[in-house]
Order: sequence, then C-alpha cells, then structure tokens
Amino acid sequence: MAISVPLHQLTYSFFSNPQWKWCAKPSYSFSNNSQNNIRAIKASVETPPFPLFQNPKLEETPADGLEPADPDFYKIGYVRSMRAYGVEFKEGPDGFGVFASKDIEPRRRARLVMQIPLELMLTIRQKLPWMFFPDIVPLGHPIFDIINSTDPETDWDLRLACLLLYAFDQDDNFWQLYGDFLPNADECTSLLLATEEDLMELQDPNLASTMREQQKRAREFWEKNWHSGVPLKIKRLAHDPERFIWAVSIAQSRCINMQVRIGALVQDANMLIPYADMLNHSFQPNCFFHWRFKDRMLEVMVNAGQHVRRGEEMTVNYMHGQMNDMLMQRYGFSSPVNPWNVIQFSGDARIHLDSFLSVFNISGLPEEYYHNSKISSDEESFIDGAVIAAARTLPTWSDGDVPLVPSIERKAVKELQEECRQMLAEFPTTSKQDQKMLDSMKEPRRTLEAAIKYRLHRKLFIDKVIKALDIYQDRILF
Amino acid sequence: MATLSAAWMYQDRGLGPVDYSDDFITRKPNFNRFQTSFLGSFPTGILQTRFRLNNLLRRTSSVRRIKCEKNDELPEYVSVERPPYYSYFDSASGQLEPASGARASIPGEEYWPEGTASRVRAARAPEPTGESTGSPSYGKHPGSRRKKYKASVRARSSEVSVESSASLEPEVSEDATEDPKESSSEYVVYETESKAEGETEYELDKKLGRPHPFIDPKVRKPIEEPLSSEELWWNWRKSDKEQWSRWQRRRPDVETVFLKAMAETGQIKLYGEHPTLTETALYRARRHLFKEERLKAEQERLERIGPIAYYSEWVKAWKRDTSREAIQKHYEETVWGGDPVYPTVNYIQDPDEVIDYRGPDFHEPTPNMLDYLKEHGKVISREELEEILAKEKTEEVEMTDMDEAMAQAVDIGEKDEEGEDSDLDADADDEEEKITRNWSVLKSTPQLQKSKAKPKKDGPMSLEEAVDDSENLTDFLLDFDEED
Repeated sequence: MAISVPLHQLTYSFFSNPQWKWCAKPSYSFSNNSQNNIRAIKASVETPPFPLFQNPKLEETPADGLEPADPDFYKIGYVRSMRAYGVEFKEGPDGFGVFASKDIEPRRRARLVMQIPLELMLTIRQKLPWMFFPDIVPLGHPIFDIINSTDPETDWDLRLACLLLYAFDQDDNFWQLYGDFLPNADECTSLLLATEEDLMELQDPNLASTMREQQKRAREFWEKNWHSGVPLKIKRLAHDPERFIWAVSIAQSRCINMQVRIGALVQDANMLIPYADMLNHSFQPNCFFHWRFKDRMLEVMVNAGQHVRRGEEMTVNYMHGQMNDMLMQRYGFSSPVNPWNVIQFSGDARIHLDSFLSVFNISGLPEEYYHNSKISSDEESFIDGAVIAAARTLPTWSDGDVPLVPSIERKAVKELQEECRQMLAEFPTTSKQDQKMLDSMKEPRRTLEAAIKYRLHRKLFIDKVIKALDIYQDRILF
Repeated sequence: MATLSAAWMYQDRGLGPVDYSDDFITRKPNFNRFQTSFLGSFPTGILQTRFRLNNLLRRTSSVRRIKCEKNDELPEYVSVERPPYYSYFDSASGQLEPASGARASIPGEEYWPEGTASRVRAARAPEPTGESTGSPSYGKHPGSRRKKYKASVRARSSEVSVESSASLEPEVSEDATEDPKESSSEYVVYETESKAEGETEYELDKKLGRPHPFIDPKVRKPIEEPLSSEELWWNWRKSDKEQWSRWQRRRPDVETVFLKAMAETGQIKLYGEHPTLTETALYRARRHLFKEERLKAEQERLERIGPIAYYSEWVKAWKRDTSREAIQKHYEETVWGGDPVYPTVNYIQDPDEVIDYRGPDFHEPTPNMLDYLKEHGKVISREELEEILAKEKTEEVEMTDMDEAMAQAVDIGEKDEEGEDSDLDADADDEEEKITRNWSVLKSTPQLQKSKAKPKKDGPMSLEEAVDDSENLTDFLLDFDEED
C-alpha cells in the first residue's frame, strides 16, 4: 500500500493506484520503523488480550500513524457553514491530510466533498485594484498602505502574508482559530525558513540561490515596512522577521490561485482557503477545486468516475507540469515520481520514442503520458511517474514508420546511461548515503529533511532513468 | 391507550375514581377543547376518558361553569356543526395533512430550484461531535493545536524504558480518542453517570424509558381556574382570517341581514344560524302582504274620516273641526277645494273615460265640399275664370297695334316685307285670336305674345334675339324665292 503523506512537511503523496506501485519505498521506512518499534514493544509488554475484549487497534493507532484531527478543527468550520461530506481530517507525523471516510462509487458527475464559504477565506485579487474578499482591511489601516506599496506583478505572496498577519490580529476572524492548525515555524518545510546549512544540503545551486533571493526579499520587505517607527497596529502583527517570513512561507505554500467570479467580476485571485489547503498534492489527483459562484463557495469535488475507497487520501494537483525544483521552491516538497522532471542531456544520442513508449506501455500525447494498464498484462510495478518523466525528458527521435536500428539504439542507450551516471557522480553523496542520513537523523529540522529528500529524489530519478533504459535495451525487438 | 389514560390520570394528580355517571352523557360533546393535539384517529374509548376528565376538571374547579352564548339552561341541540378538525392523517400517504387548503405535496428533488439540493445537504450534514482538549490561541501561537508534540512524545518514548513507553502509549492514544477507555481492562464495565444524584426519579424514569408522566411532578404547576377563551392560546374562536379573502364571506342581502338580526333579537326563530332560501321567501311574502294590508288600511281610514282629518297631522294650520260635514260647509262657503293634498280631487277624471267632442250639429250629414270651397274662395266658377281671362286678352291686342306701327316706322328698306308683315300680322292676329280659343291660358298671356311679335318690328336685332325668335335654323335661310 502506498502511503500518502501530507505535504507540507516533507514529500508529495503518491496516489494508491495499483498500477503505480513503486518498489522503492526508502523514504517512509523512517516513520514506519519507528512505528513498528513502538508497536513491537507494546506487544511484548502487554498480556495477549482476550480476543473478545480486545479493542480494535485501528481506531486508536492506525498503522500509518494517522489519527483523527482535533474535533475542533472541523467544528470551527462547521459553525461557519463550511461542510465536509464523507471525508475526515486526519493528522499524521507529517502533518494533516484529508481522507475518505466512506467509499465513493464512480459516478458520471463529480461529487462534492467539501464546501468552504468565501467568508472564511483570505482572498486578494491578483491585479490592481486589489480587492479583498472578505473585505477585512479597513481603508485607513496602515496595512493597506503596505499592501499598496507592493509590486502588483510579483509580490502576491507578500500581500497575502500581510493579510494573513492582519487576520490573525483581527478579533472574530476565523483565521485566529484556524491558525492554530497551521504548521508553525518548526514544522513548516518551506525553504524560506531554511538555514544556510539546509540550502547547502540541497546540492542544487540554482535552487539554493533562488531561495536565498526569496529570503532576502522577504526580510527586506519586513525591514522596510516594520521598522521601528511604524505604529503599533503594524508592529504587533509581526514583531520579528521570522514571524513575517513564516507568514510568507505559509502564503506561498498554501495559496490557491483561481479564477473566480464574484459578483459580476471575473478575477484571478490569490486565495488562502482554510480546509482546502489541507489537501495534499498528487500527480494523479483525486479531487479538484471548483468555485461555486452562486453562493460563493469553494467546492472540493472528487473527479468524475473516480472510485474512492474508504481511507484513501484526497489529493489535488498543486502545480501542473513543473519540475521538482519548482515544487520545492514554492511548496517545500519534492517527489521522486514527478512526471515532469527534466534532465538536461547533452550530446546527440537519441532513442526511438515509439519503441520506448511501447516497451513501457505508455500511451497518450506527450503532454499527458500515462501508463496504459489495459495493454500491459502482467503487473508492472516498475512504471511510475519517473518513467513517464523519462519518456518526456530523454532525447528521442521519431520519424513516422522508420524502424529503429537496434545497434544504434543500443549505442544511444549506453551513451545516455553514461551521462546519467556522470550526473550521479557529480553529486557529493549517493542516494544510499542520503537515505541512511535520513534514517539516522532523529528529529531533524523539517527544512533539512526536505532538502535531503529533495536531493535524494533527484538521484532516485536519475537512477530510475538508468534502469528504464536498461529495460528498454532488453526489450528492443528486432 | 393504557399509557395515555394513565398519563391523563397523572395530569389530574391522581384523583380517585369519581362518580361521574350522571351527566356525562348529557353533556354536550366538547370537541373544541382538545383539537390540535388529538386527531381524528382516536378510538372512542379515549374520548370517553376525556369526557370523564372534562367533568373532573369542572368538578374540581367548581367556580365557574362553561357558559353558553345564549344562556340556555337546557342545552338545546340547536345546530349540527361539522367537526372542526384542521388536519388529519391522509389515508393515501399516511402523513399529516391539512383539512382545508390547496397545499400540494412537496415535490421531489428533481423539481427543486437550483441550489436547494446543496443547501438541504448542508443543513442535513451532521454536526461534528467530540470535545477538543486544546484551546485556541487566537493568532498568538499558530500551530499550537497540532499533534506534533504528541508525535514527538511517541517517538521519544521508544528510547525510554519499555514499561513507561507502554504506559505512555495508551495515554497518548487515549488523548486522541474521546472516551477514557482503559485499554488494559479485560472486562466491560458499565459506567454509572455521575449525575445520578442530580437526577430526579422522574428524569431517571424518562431516561430509562419507564412509564412516566408527561410533566415532572416537581416542576408541574397546579391547574388554576380555566382561562377564558380570550386568554387561551389555542383560541377556538373562528377568526375571519380562515378564508384567505374577505370576498369569500357571505354576501349581505337586505332580507338575510334582517332575518338574521331578527333571529338574534329573538323576534323570529330560524332553523339554523343563517336564514335559508325558504325562510327568505317567506319573509319576503309576508312583508309584501303586510305592506298591502297597511296600505289598504290607510286608504280605508282616509276614506272613512275624510282627507282633512287624515292629513290633519301634517296640516298643522288647520285646527278646526275636520269632520266631513264641517268641511263641506266650509267648501260651500268659500269655493275652496276640500283636499289639501290633492286639491283636484273634485276634478278627478277617470283616466279611462272616453270624452265625446261631438258638437251640436253632431247629427248633420257630410257637407257639400264644393259649396264649402266656393264659400271660402278656394274655387271659382268657369265663367268668372273666363271673365278674368278676357280681361287679360284685351290688353294684349292693344299691344300688337302698337307694335305694328313701330315696325312700319322703323324699317324703310323693307317695305315689301312690311306689307307682307302687315298682312301676316293681320292674319296672325286672326290666327292668334283663333289660337287663343284653343290654346291654354298660358299661351295667350300677353308676355308671350310680346316676345313672339317683337322681333318682327325691330330691324337690327341681336343674335340672341334672332336665335330665340327662330323656329329652327331654317328661319335663317334667306332665300325666300325658293320657298315661294
């Protein structure tokens, strides 16, 4: 069973589609082992309980460490006319997640799972004039001037952070209650909160420099607008830059950009939506967001024709078509099976696209490659998003009916594999070392963990590409 | 049913069996009192129970009897009203349905307007249960209610001693669940609520499902004097709002209104509340007859006592004797019309009388029209006419002589023609004379003669005169030689 793990802490979640089982589950053994250890100890101490009186374990400590979230979490939303139908919020060691509490049959129409009214959100229009829904910013408040001073093109996260901090300060605001369930600075994996050491662990200089710039930008913004002469109304929103940077990281990682129609105006809005941001990311998502204009609700709906079993995680696609570094930069997580991962190959070696695809039974257009399970008879647990990414990123040639020349193909494959190995060699550490490091660390900083996982995923991906090329080589028919 | 009657008994504070056999049957069945709570489906046994209790209440109150409007001692079975239920269990659907009103059943989901389904679903969503252990920090400590602390506790406990971890584990996991179940217990324990002392026996009964009265006996207030119908919140007076418009009420008709008023004052007795058609017709007939009778009586009185006496109350000025003899005397004295209102009573004419306008020579035959017309100058005799005409003729002859002379004098150049003309004229005169005898009067008028003779005398005559004079165009042919 593929464990899907909440996002904000560490990694993505892979969807438990049976065809997509991935064989290597190194990253989760950490939490699993700890669980297993605990359970083993428990079993040894207790007397074997009489079967009649044994409490079912599942309800108390489920296998993957998920517990139902604080009942107040849903209650504060329920009271304000937010509804969750057939899902429940669970919390694991890696954070919150939304899980189905009952089976959902595949239907022709998308099923509503959650609805969140506009009054609970924090929304800013992306373009000028900035409109806030709900309009909590009073016109004379200095926070409005701060928001006004931001660049309309690029500073959306700063604006949202200001709004979030202001909402924390405003009495009767829902975010005062909801903020207790947001990950705080220790738990948030966004790289904005990462130290220099963590950024070094990334082993990706581009990403590291980008993150440094982002951090600088956020800090400068704070210094500019929260200098000592600023009124108390502003000062108490963020007494220290860390709080502000945390707010920026929350805003970046939990913001949902949607085109919503409010009143007569259709606008692109940056929205912080309370319960919908607890959904984790997946490249094969369960659910999607829909804005119901009629009563200004955001609906989280299950895909049409999607069969959901009880206990499955509800997931959404955060960003479509981006590499791991974008995901890392924006959300603070990465995935080894990102189907949009890119490797820059140099050289002319090309493999035949059609045969590569047919070896792995990948069908569809290049934008939407998927593994066609109908064709493949036997269980292919090898094929996952990484193979799809390989199909996209490997240099290929395809010329109509021209058949491949096996020898040339083999040569090309060898060249590509060589290049991948070179890339792997360039890393200071190997993937096994990374894995060991992760296992050995106890209570690591979340950002450090995320960084190590990022580079680990990168190496795993390259590994996978090599393996895929091997399999391709084997299966070239001639 | 047994429980219900028991409940009723309880409500009455357990009054013992009272002797209520005497007038429980003769009492008017008071359906009104128990209308809303009891629907039509009750068996009569319960009704009887209610009646008994009704009497019980009356007996216990003993202050005031329920008074009727008409204050009758004997309850007269005046009207048969339909049982005024306002709702019943529909036999088709088994649901409660109103007796009146055109309320259709609520349509299914397919017919709901847009958005209703989602609102209904939102309303039906169950409320979250469960008590939270933490408390909100109101923005001060974001992330304070997450469970990471407990996770870290759990992780750390693996290193600590085995027993403590085992004991920690159930505690940690119990924090997540609501019920403080002891995981090491081997027996099922029924927990007694700590509120047992705070609960009365009534509440206990209620909770355990034992038979209990509707109202907690400690909370219940004693029944006081029954409220008047104004004070009762289920006021049984039929409001006029029962129909949704005032247009639906009974239309007032002069006869029905008066009949109802008379019935209410007691002058007449109607069969029911409202007069029926028969009663109305009867009333109308009686009224007509009464009017006729009155009129006849008045007339007779007038005839009997005479007009002055009849109108004496209107004619205040006449203070003297109003008898017929006195009036007659007065009338003779002063040629004054006896009747002050109808002074022409002496000149009453029979409207159907045929008046005869025939004169004294009524018996004369039809007169001679000719003599009559002659007399009046409308007709003259022939002789007279001829005289008149002859007078007119002589004047004319003089005129032609003058013309002849005129004709001779003027035209010298046409002497031959003059001679002919004169001969012709003479002939023409004779002819004319002959003509006048035969021709009509009009032809022999002097004006016409003049016009004929005139062109012969004038020498140079105008074109129009020539055209007028000519018989036809042949007159303008100047070649007389050929004619001759």
